[in-house]
Amino acid sequence: MKRAQIDMQLAALLGILAVVPIVDSVLPTALQVTPLMPPVLIFALVGLGLSVATGFTGLLHLGVAAFVAIGAYTFAIVTCSIYPFQIPWLCAVLLAGLVGMATGALLALPTMRLRGDYLAIVTLGFGEIVQDVLRNLDAITKGTQGINPLGGPTIVSFQAPLSTATRWYYLVLFILALVAFLMQRLLQSPTGRSWLALRDDELAASCMGVNPARTKLATFAVSAGLCAVAGALLASFLGSSGEPSNYDFQVSIMALSMVIVGGLGSIPGAILGAIIMVGINSIVLAKLADWLSNVSTGSSNVLLSPSNWKYMIFGLALVLMMRFKSEGLMPPRQSGGK
Amino acid sequence: MKPLDLTKSLLSAVAALFLCAPVGQAETSLKIVSSLPKTGSSNAQATSISNGIRLALKEVNSRVGDVTLQYEDWDDSSPARGSWDPAVEAANADKAIQDQSVVAYVGPYNSGAAKISMPKLNQAGLLMVSPAASWPGLTKPGLGEPNEPSIYRPTNKVTFFRVVPADDLQGDVGAKWAQELGVTSVYILHDGELYGKGVATMFKKAGTARNFSILGFDKIDPKASNYRSLAVKIKQTRPDLVYFGGTTQTNAGQLIKDLRATGITSKFMVPDGCYETAFIESAGAEAVQGNTYITFGGVPANQLKGLGQKFYETYKATYGSEPEGYAAYGYEAAKVVIDAIGKANTKDRAGILASIANTKDFQGALGTWSFDSNGDTTLRTMSGNMVENGEFKLSKVLE
Amino acid sequence: MNATEVLTQQLIIGLSNGMIIALIALGYTMVYGLVELINFAHGDLFMLGGFCALTILGGLGLAPLPSASEIGSLSWWASFVLLFTLVPCFCGALNWLIDRLAYRPLRNAPRLVPLVSALGVSFILLNVGLFWGGLPMQAFDMGVSAASPKDFPQLVSNTNLLGESSFIVFSPKDLLVISATLSLLLVLVLVVTRTQFGRAMRAVAQNPVAARLVGIDVDRIISLTFVLGGALAGVASIIYALYNNTVFFQMGYRVGIDAFTAAVLGGIGNLVGSVIGGILIGLIRAMSDQYISTEWTNTIVFMLLIGVLVFRPAGLLGRATKEKV
Repeated sequence: MKRAQIDMQLAALLGILAVVPIVDSVLPTALQVTPLMPPVLIFALVGLGLSVATGFTGLLHLGVAAFVAIGAYTFAIVTCSIYPFQIPWLCAVLLAGLVGMATGALLALPTMRLRGDYLAIVTLGFGEIVQDVLRNLDAITKGTQGINPLGGPTIVSFQAPLSTATRWYYLVLFILALVAFLMQRLLQSPTGRSWLALRDDELAASCMGVNPARTKLATFAVSAGLCAVAGALLASFLGSSGEPSNYDFQVSIMALSMVIVGGLGSIPGAILGAIIMVGINSIVLAKLADWLSNVSTGSSNVLLSPSNWKYMIFGLALVLMMRFKSEGLMPPRQSGGK
Repeated sequence: MKPLDLTKSLLSAVAALFLCAPVGQAETSLKIVSSLPKTGSSNAQATSISNGIRLALKEVNSRVGDVTLQYEDWDDSSPARGSWDPAVEAANADKAIQDQSVVAYVGPYNSGAAKISMPKLNQAGLLMVSPAASWPGLTKPGLGEPNEPSIYRPTNKVTFFRVVPADDLQGDVGAKWAQELGVTSVYILHDGELYGKGVATMFKKAGTARNFSILGFDKIDPKASNYRSLAVKIKQTRPDLVYFGGTTQTNAGQLIKDLRATGITSKFMVPDGCYETAFIESAGAEAVQGNTYITFGGVPANQLKGLGQKFYETYKATYGSEPEGYAAYGYEAAKVVIDAIGKANTKDRAGILASIANTKDFQGALGTWSFDSNGDTTLRTMSGNMVENGEFKLSKVLE
Repeated sequence: MNATEVLTQQLIIGLSNGMIIALIALGYTMVYGLVELINFAHGDLFMLGGFCALTILGGLGLAPLPSASEIGSLSWWASFVLLFTLVPCFCGALNWLIDRLAYRPLRNAPRLVPLVSALGVSFILLNVGLFWGGLPMQAFDMGVSAASPKDFPQLVSNTNLLGESSFIVFSPKDLLVISATLSLLLVLVLVVTRTQFGRAMRAVAQNPVAARLVGIDVDRIISLTFVLGGALAGVASIIYALYNNTVFFQMGYRVGIDAFTAAVLGGIGNLVGSVIGGILIGLIRAMSDQYISTEWTNTIVFMLLIGVLVFRPAGLLGRATKEKV
């Protein structure tokens, strides 16, 4: 019964997302959001990845951006025409995921004894290290140049009645839905249950025969793999790996905020959180700024420029959210609570 | 089975719906949009550029012939990043492509952002004019990566134009100026960003050609709180000049302060990313007084003649502040777009694109110039500036 | 400069930078010790302290001072007294307010909830800093661009205490940083170990429920700790601004991360540990800048952190605690 209910939430959310481009197509241009949505959905995938580590097993992870970067750069290196590999799109995305999983496991190995905030600082440090390595090893990564051009899958490049943005939208939505439903299944499997047990009480879980070390390793790897897949999609969507500084600490923070606003440990929550947090910035605030900039005259007063208020709005949203609905917008129902 | 939780689904519905904030406009007009980093550290330059654009539109009363022009000022940065955001820049490009009334995309400010939007807009045949992105590889073959700039032109047509001279000119002119100042040895630093490292590399290339001894080529950490250790390292090599490829935002002010505090009296040269009042504010007027050399692609706004002088005065009168370094480029970009729309045979994307490519001897605020076949300005005048009593002073016009 | 002189100079620089990191880490570690909250807003509170100092100097017309000549004058002393009283008060009060509004209502929530709230506060403070930087501060003829770094007047001179002819520079700035951090550490250790308040603090840190049972006003102790932590951030910001002569609305980020790293390296919650962690980071940065390469400095710092945690999972001076069952 409970399981069905969660499925309904997720299904409803994905269902609404599925009709967005259709609703969009009858709206005037200024109101359309489809072109803005693929990065939001890709971010939702990062949110799902972070959910695995932080939401399901309770490991505070502040370095997901590093895995997004690893995915993006792996994808770029194996597909870009300036390198000799040029493997097919789907293989490249999967390979990016595998490389992400491997590095995730590699990071988890020496840090398995750490708990809580010590682990947090290690993941944060790892995020900084990855950025620097990508920037400094320019023989391989092209340093600050970024690797481009990168292509999309054939499914988005053939001429179809839908616009490129709409095709991307459905592609990413499909992958997101696939991952979300797989995760839902996983959570109900013994493996998933052992993850949740570890989050609720490590000591009790290990008494029940859950191996904390192996479980942490697994969740870290899965989390990293999902983030890397998101990174590959992002690079493919942008047509470029971007600069290393595009994957800085702020991205990890953003991902963490999304997951918590949506409801820690909840699959539909992570998606909703991404839509709200990334959506606030790239859609609501952007539209607000467009509108305000047509009203104001571009005065040099720092208070009058709407974009100068973005940090404030973002921060207030987080604080108020935590104050009044700290369990998130769609809290998970499976675990029996405290 | 329990019925669907209403609150939850309502919330999702609201979330999906409020992504559609209402903004309305008429169908009959054409739109110019700009995509500039308004959030975070580049805010001052970005705002100054859009002010320049507004000024250009105001001059023609937002009309050319029977076309009404609209301007939308988009932000390509996000609060989470505090600087340009690749996802936002990509979204802006897609948004512009989707909106058929958009005929010109002014921006972006950062070359890294240009790399992302250029191929997209090129495929859509949408005109792009950048007031600030100066990485040479964006337009010029042979200077950047081997596959540049063709990768930005999937249709093989030139759709990206820039009114700002590229960094290869700046590196070269900087080295030439240094030579005139009697420099023979340089220590080169950069901030590890596309722009800063690009300029520094071009300076190194030009310096090597002029037989400077290059004592070092280091990346600094733009977020560090000071550079004293690095300054001590530089001090040991006794350079005639320290060159920093970077901007005020990547800590040029702190760097010069620490060089001076460590007792390095060498000359200090920076590119146009530091040609803004903020640079003097951050370094302190004293630290940059004399011995600091700032190259800038063009002549400072207050030194402009003719139309440029008029621009400078109108800007000051309208906004009550000095225009920042790139404001004139924002103005010029908008002017040349307006001119192209006026001359276009068909008032659509293709017509305007064809019209702007034919820009010859355009009389603008920056002087008289044309676009070459790569989409670059033919303007090659650069200025060498120094700081005197807390203000930039034109020291030398560099060709 | 010969090799020894270079090494000595880099050690001095590393030590001074490390001491500044340590000062901020002290604030982190105190709050963490009590409520186990990684206070992401601490770095931004520190940043606002810098702007507060800048405003005090400008607003009272005490600055900018012509370098060297006025050092030692009455107005110079006055500016010091004002800075070191007003800025810590401002930061302490602000931190109290933040705790009251954003953290205290979440005391019993899961760990991540106050953490996200702290992130939100950090964004808000960042925005306040941006606006503050945009105010026209007439004394410095500033405020043209809100987001750019601001110059902070040279109140402490750069002259070499070892004499003009010496290659090694040890300036009053270095002296200030080192003496301020060590004396603050001493005071804090005394407060924690010798006073009633310190005892109560340790009790709350060990077991809040038991502390409440023996009659300690837990909320008040936590509030006071936030005030103390904020005041520390205020002092740190003055020292930082006097040493680096720059105030910038994004300066809390790197400094905050360094301080957090220092606190964890030393064993979070341990005062002496966080100072040692800070000094270590400062020294390693200086050594790496000189002998390896500036571009790898950050990587080396974090590699070292991971390395230390692998062998000592609770930091250098932290004690591994067995989980309470």
